[in-house]
Amino acid sequence: MKFTIQRDQLIDSLQHVMKAISPRVAIPILTGIKIEATKEGIKLTGSDSDISIESFIPVEEDGLVYVENIEPGAIVVQAKYFPDIIRKLPLKTIEIQTDDNYQMTILSGGSEFHLNGQDAEEYPHLPVLHTDNSFEIKHDLLKEMIKQTVFAVSTVETRPILTGVNMKVIDGKLNFVATDSHRLASRVLPLSEEQKHVNFESIVVPGKSLAELNKIIEENDETVTMSVSDNQILFQTKNIYFLSRLLDGNYPETDRLIPDQSKTVVKTKTKALLQAIDRASLLAKENRNNVVKLETKDQHLEISSNTPEVGQVTEDVVTESTEGESLKISFSAKYMIDALRIIEEEYVSIYFTGAMRPFVIRPDQNDQILQLILPVRTY
Amino acid sequence: MSKWYPKNGRVIFHVDMNSFYASVEMAYDPSLKTKAIAIAGNPEERRGIIVTSSYEARAKGVKTTMPLWQARRLCPELIVLPPNFERYRKMSRELFKIMAEITDLVQPVSIDEGYIDVTDCSHLGSPIEIASQLQQRLKAELDLPCSIGIAPNKFLAKMGSDMKKPMGITIIRKRELKDVLWPLDIGEMHGVGEKTKAKFNDQNIYTIQDLVDADPYLLKRVFGVNGVRLQQKAKGEDKRPVDPDAVFEFKSIGNSETLPEDTVEEATILGLLRKLSKKVSERLIRKEVVGQTVQLMIRYYDRKTITRSITLAKFLHQEQAIYQVAVDLFETHWNNEPIRLLGVTVQGLVDKSEIVEQLDLFHYQEMLKDEGLQRTIDQLTERYGKTTFKKLQSTTEQQPRTSFQKDFLDDYRTSK
Amino acid sequence: MKTWTSLKEDQPVVMKMIERMIKDDRMAHAYLLHGDPGTGKQAIALHLAMRIFCKSPHGAEPCKTCTDCRRVESGNHPDLHWLKPEGASIKKEQIQDLQREFTYQGLESNKKVYVIENSDKMTTNAANRLLKFLEEPSRETTAILLTDNQYRLLDTIRSRCQLLALRPLSPKALEAALINEGISPHNARLFQAIAPQLEQAKALDQDTWFADARKLMVQLVSMLHSRSNESLFFVEKQWMEHFKDREQLKIGLNLLLHWFKDLIYIQIEDNASLVMLDYKEQLEQQAFRYTKQQLTTILETITHAVRKLDQNVHPTLVMEQLTLQMQR
Repeated sequence: MKFTIQRDQLIDSLQHVMKAISPRVAIPILTGIKIEATKEGIKLTGSDSDISIESFIPVEEDGLVYVENIEPGAIVVQAKYFPDIIRKLPLKTIEIQTDDNYQMTILSGGSEFHLNGQDAEEYPHLPVLHTDNSFEIKHDLLKEMIKQTVFAVSTVETRPILTGVNMKVIDGKLNFVATDSHRLASRVLPLSEEQKHVNFESIVVPGKSLAELNKIIEENDETVTMSVSDNQILFQTKNIYFLSRLLDGNYPETDRLIPDQSKTVVKTKTKALLQAIDRASLLAKENRNNVVKLETKDQHLEISSNTPEVGQVTEDVVTESTEGESLKISFSAKYMIDALRIIEEEYVSIYFTGAMRPFVIRPDQNDQILQLILPVRTY
Repeated sequence: MSKWYPKNGRVIFHVDMNSFYASVEMAYDPSLKTKAIAIAGNPEERRGIIVTSSYEARAKGVKTTMPLWQARRLCPELIVLPPNFERYRKMSRELFKIMAEITDLVQPVSIDEGYIDVTDCSHLGSPIEIASQLQQRLKAELDLPCSIGIAPNKFLAKMGSDMKKPMGITIIRKRELKDVLWPLDIGEMHGVGEKTKAKFNDQNIYTIQDLVDADPYLLKRVFGVNGVRLQQKAKGEDKRPVDPDAVFEFKSIGNSETLPEDTVEEATILGLLRKLSKKVSERLIRKEVVGQTVQLMIRYYDRKTITRSITLAKFLHQEQAIYQVAVDLFETHWNNEPIRLLGVTVQGLVDKSEIVEQLDLFHYQEMLKDEGLQRTIDQLTERYGKTTFKKLQSTTEQQPRTSFQKDFLDDYRTSK
Repeated sequence: MKTWTSLKEDQPVVMKMIERMIKDDRMAHAYLLHGDPGTGKQAIALHLAMRIFCKSPHGAEPCKTCTDCRRVESGNHPDLHWLKPEGASIKKEQIQDLQREFTYQGLESNKKVYVIENSDKMTTNAANRLLKFLEEPSRETTAILLTDNQYRLLDTIRSRCQLLALRPLSPKALEAALINEGISPHNARLFQAIAPQLEQAKALDQDTWFADARKLMVQLVSMLHSRSNESLFFVEKQWMEHFKDREQLKIGLNLLLHWFKDLIYIQIEDNASLVMLDYKEQLEQQAFRYTKQQLTTILETITHAVRKLDQNVHPTLVMEQLTLQMQR
């Protein structure tokens, strides 16, 4: 393998793939970065086995030449040394070549580094994009969908499948669901005609991977191509491929757990409710469960919290409408705040079916978002 | 000096630190002294709430739980600080250390208040001299003000410390009750909150005097045994001892047992863990408490003893849950040497009534079966009082004999 | 690196079972490979893992040249999880990592292999979770548990695994294994004759008691001729001092047995079977002092002495009788 490359492009690419490299690895080869040269350009890969990031440097972009004198080949070099060396080289242009004994020579100006590498065949073989089962989605829409669901994944390993976001396509709609069993967040996206061919079975993507992905998708990435293979999901932007392993196991059937009827419906301003709950939770925090109580009154809500050692607080929220049976219910302020925070619409409606049953929060005029919270039982 | 002490009675102090958090802040930064300061949950944000404030701020009308913007309007020069619990805890330890120099009979009841039994402290001076020395020391050494109530029992001492703030010393004698205590509003009484006050008012009880004069049968019917206790306290009767161990007492319930012979036999060991978990669970259930921390004690053949614990996200009281955690701890920490004794303890206990249970999406339906029943009980309780329904206790539960003493204290504590 | 063929030589029964399972496509979810140290558990597990991942197997055998086989060998196959105790036990973090791994799909495919060395050092809890995980039939997952002693694993775990019992090493294999461990060929020959298990045999190399025992044995046999009048005194004063109990004395008798066997081998010129290679010269000198008949008788009396020890005859008495019989 041999190529001459612009240092800045290489540094940029290295920064991306380094995000996937962890000091604790399951197999020794993952302490390395894979470098692959083809006629089209240079591809770098980093992986901690849960997520893998590939970054591609094209031979030329917008008339600027990034890579020259390419002799195709591949090698794995230590992530501990390679990026630091590149960063400190004196010239803007770097010449890299490898020999049959997996030794890499790096030349720039008067510097000459020899770095021991490993056979690229030892590196995990990552799936490539399947065009027949992929579709494009606007980057901001994908980020939004992740943001609206990923907060609700479970952070404890007691039921590992719940640490991921469930994604599936049903009836021409892409559906994201996350639940930690105490609350549930769901977002639906109707697919366009071009996207409708996509049909992947219910998969579960680790919440941690999605949080990482959200950091990596850049504002200037117009679209992201999503593709699902048997065991990995791939998100591809222009020059970055982000892969995550999938969680193993069946995601619980959540649809049937969402109540479709209600006994009390309250419609109120999202912001006002959020702020009232947030204030009430100030005194609830001392309380182990961060619990607030909500009581429906005529055309308004009373939200209260009482922690004997600290004090007591009552908040009054005016509602647009309150229909159905009167209700007293207690729930975690944190879950309610999380749910309301991702709603941008001015009004929300909350559908209650009883003090010991889950309730549903939906933004007004938007049936793509659904939040569900389980109340707490007081003794 | 003994002439100042009663022949057949006790002398109890209740020491109550004055606006403790604010005072600690002032002690750390004397430039704050004489200024109106407040501790608030979220000082950066407009919608923060006052947790506590200095007397200077209170004088301007600043109150606990008041929204910050309102407090600022009342007192524009208000200095708002975030809480610094580590600091408060440290100061708290210091002040109890000073109290303990008077006598071992110190019972902390919270971070900033405690009882001292000085009945046998005549060698240190008269009660009022001891109290005043203590107050001066706390002021001089920690720069913290306090109020002290002196009385023949805990309840009256507590009422006394409340009467003069800051830096007050109040003596309440039994013969003075009708003048100093009974005229007070019933809501002023320690142990009577908003709800109980409203209930008392419903029964035409407005002052402590009214409570003293009330029909004990009525009290029992409406308020349960707690009503009768409140009446006795109002009459100046309170036999609760100052118990230095009370803080530790109820925080944990544990059982241990020595094996018939030192063993490495896993089946025997797991069997004993199962048995201990069952016993602990029974005691937790009987006392209607739940705990968050499980501790395992292993004593080896050579008497080397280790204790290892784990704090869980959830509260537990069931045998199976305790057993599982105990086994996890055992498997993680056992060094494979022969074991002589094992102990299982559940710590961080709280009253079941104080906690709430987060319902689970996948299991909430199992709880719905008593939804209707619970609603009926609530309604009937509201109408006919608390004693209408009593939970039946399983009679098969064995009283664990070795822990009887501890249980006795626990029960005593819950009854106050 | 062992080959499939050499494994078949060492462990014909187990390897035949494995080959049949592969041919019939009846792979189990969990195997328990148990056998003495040195019997090839790791090598078999490695080959089994290779065969599971191999892209171009030859019948039951993995090709060992494809990238999957090569990565299994180098430890870089991402879907092979190989756990061995760090220090004395399998650490909690190792188990946690393992349990975390259960929740993910494979990196390259849905095939996963877990190999757990010294699986008896895994906590019961962890083992149960592992097997529970394996029991979900949809998974293409194989666990290979290794242990020196299957009885240290709980019945519930053993019963859920297909047991593969490795036979003890043949003397020849044991000798080769000892040499492989850095023991001199002469000693390896002797040790395998004295101790049938690799670990025990290896331990002899560091055992000064054994070294002294060997010296005493050589002293005794030479004394039988040169100073036969002192030999009983020697037995009483030095021999019995060193071989303090029945088990130790049995080792002494075992050494004597091999000495006289070697004398026969010298007589029949079968040098390849000699055990006491370090003493070849002395053996050659002594071999001509005995007739074949005498040697056979001595071998019989030594065997008889061992039996008497087992029958609780007093060790000193047994030894004195034997010495007199050998002198005859």
